[in-house]
Amino acid sequence: MLLRLEAISKRFGRDWVLRDLSFALDRGEVVALLGPNGSGKTTLLRLMAGLLKPTRGRVERGGRVLFLPNPPAFHRHLTAREHLLYDLAFHGGRGDWRGALVRFGLPENLPLAAFSSGMKKRLALARLILLGPDLWLLDEPETALDGEGRELLLKVLQEARQGAGVVLATHDRALAAQVADRTLELGVA
Amino acid sequence: MRRALLLALRDLRLEVRDRAGLLSVLAFFGVMLFIMALALGPEEAPLRRAAPGVLWVALAFASTLLSTRAFALEVEDGTLDDLLLVPGGKEWVYFGKLLFQMLLLLPLSALAFLMAAGLFYLPLEKALPILLTLALGTLGYASVATFYAGLLARLRGREVLLPLLLFSLVVPVVLSAVRATAGLVEGLPLSEVASWWQLLAVFDVVYLTASALLFPVVMEG
Amino acid sequence: MLKATVSDRPDLFTWAFLGLGLLLLPLGLYLALSAPPDVNQGYLARIMYLHVPGAWLGYLAFFVTFLYSLLYLFRQDPRYDRVALASAEIGLVFMGLALVTGMLWARPTWGVYWTWEPRLTTTAILFAVYVGYFLLRGAIEDPELRRKAAAAVGILGFINVPISYMSVKWWRSLHQTQSIDLTTGKIHMAPEMLQALLFNLLVFTLLYLGFVRLRALVAALEARKEEA
Repeated sequence: MLLRLEAISKRFGRDWVLRDLSFALDRGEVVALLGPNGSGKTTLLRLMAGLLKPTRGRVERGGRVLFLPNPPAFHRHLTAREHLLYDLAFHGGRGDWRGALVRFGLPENLPLAAFSSGMKKRLALARLILLGPDLWLLDEPETALDGEGRELLLKVLQEARQGAGVVLATHDRALAAQVADRTLELGVA
Repeated sequence: MRRALLLALRDLRLEVRDRAGLLSVLAFFGVMLFIMALALGPEEAPLRRAAPGVLWVALAFASTLLSTRAFALEVEDGTLDDLLLVPGGKEWVYFGKLLFQMLLLLPLSALAFLMAAGLFYLPLEKALPILLTLALGTLGYASVATFYAGLLARLRGREVLLPLLLFSLVVPVVLSAVRATAGLVEGLPLSEVASWWQLLAVFDVVYLTASALLFPVVMEG
Repeated sequence: MLKATVSDRPDLFTWAFLGLGLLLLPLGLYLALSAPPDVNQGYLARIMYLHVPGAWLGYLAFFVTFLYSLLYLFRQDPRYDRVALASAEIGLVFMGLALVTGMLWARPTWGVYWTWEPRLTTTAILFAVYVGYFLLRGAIEDPELRRKAAAAVGILGFINVPISYMSVKWWRSLHQTQSIDLTTGKIHMAPEMLQALLFNLLVFTLLYLGFVRLRALVAALEARKEEA
């Protein structure tokens, strides 16, 4: 079991964002998280990642987790090469960062401040492939990507399915239907 | 701990490239020393007597400003989560940030000493023991400052809250550091100053240990 | 994970501590005012019967805050945080009492209300730390972050307590050294005076226990209202 949520609830101040939600994810599964704005998709992803603690209930994880926020977060004063090298060093990984950059069509030595939002999304995918976590938590990964970027995303998700588990929050039902084995619909609480 | 060192060096690189934060600290610091010198001068005796106090007031303010930089870029760029998701403990993040602070503070205190020597007639021949005092004092200060900067990183209004909390907590450190510096300037024998150093070292160890132990607890969730 | 329901009313212990404390308070004052005058300080020394218990209970309260802050961080149960909060608040009151009585005593003895000598300075810092504790609590909206940040101050701030207590020894301060030295167990005091002091200490401790329980209850009711 890669991820298990047992009856979790989350409250911010007086407002319950999530109530009594249970969920489990195995390796090799891709689950799409659907729901209108404000239904708690991002909160749920952050709870799964362990970046938030549930007000009630338990979260269990079995493996390394990466969370891709929307928009992706990078140090704007670093270049793509530097960023990936630091990421590899911190996570103790060893990988072909140059190959990853070439594959996603990204320049090595441009500061990330000069990256467009689509390029940042691509870099985020490159980073995920490079670090290869067990659990992928993606917040609206398809936004800002062009047609070619979308193709790359689909490929990356197929690769992730080999051995890892993916939860992706999205508003794109076509994408969800295309890649997800299951969907989880959140309503406004 | 290799990761901590790497994190410190990376932050140093980011901060140098960002410039804005560092420059404001340096400018503030220089202006402060000049105004103090103008206000207390021009006779040599009062300047010399005020020197240890002025030096530490300036350093305390500058390091408070600097401490908000420990997690500032991390928060601005939204990358704090990435650091916290790195598998294994979170202590290394604390040590990395602390090291980063010290890498900035040590040269800054050396610079402060030189400026104070020029403006306030601090005796240059006491450079080594004074620099030791500065190092011990800034370590105690930075260990608490880094901890609180992390704790309050996601909070609005942290720039106001941080100095408020820090000052009351680190006054013992500043107090003993001022006393040690004053003792050196007055020419007390090193054996008498050494008791202040001991006290400073005790503070450093206590604050450092407590902060390193508490940091992972307060950063999760 | 709030366990059980919070009772709306103070329980028997709270009432007992408060009632007994308030009942014995006039007796303590009587004992204090009828205690023999000091050889050097005359009747002025009687302010000690408020000053010393106030300071001690202040230290004790901050120690309790320290303990419960640690418990909170490791158990994550808001009840511990509420006790820490209650104790810090009552501690501030007692510490304030010690500061005010100290100043009233200092004016005729030293000629000034306040002087920057080590004991007074460290005590003022201690006071400032716990004022900061409440400013911090007021500034953070998210209850969980508020509790965590406060617990950190409760733990790191406590280091000032031993410093404040030991300052009269370490720095050869103007403030006199302890009449009852907790580190060596030596007592420098006439028996009648000691009796009156210990009695007042008992009264203050009862009041402390009662008020902390009451304040923690109020905090629990506040939390319940905030969550509802």
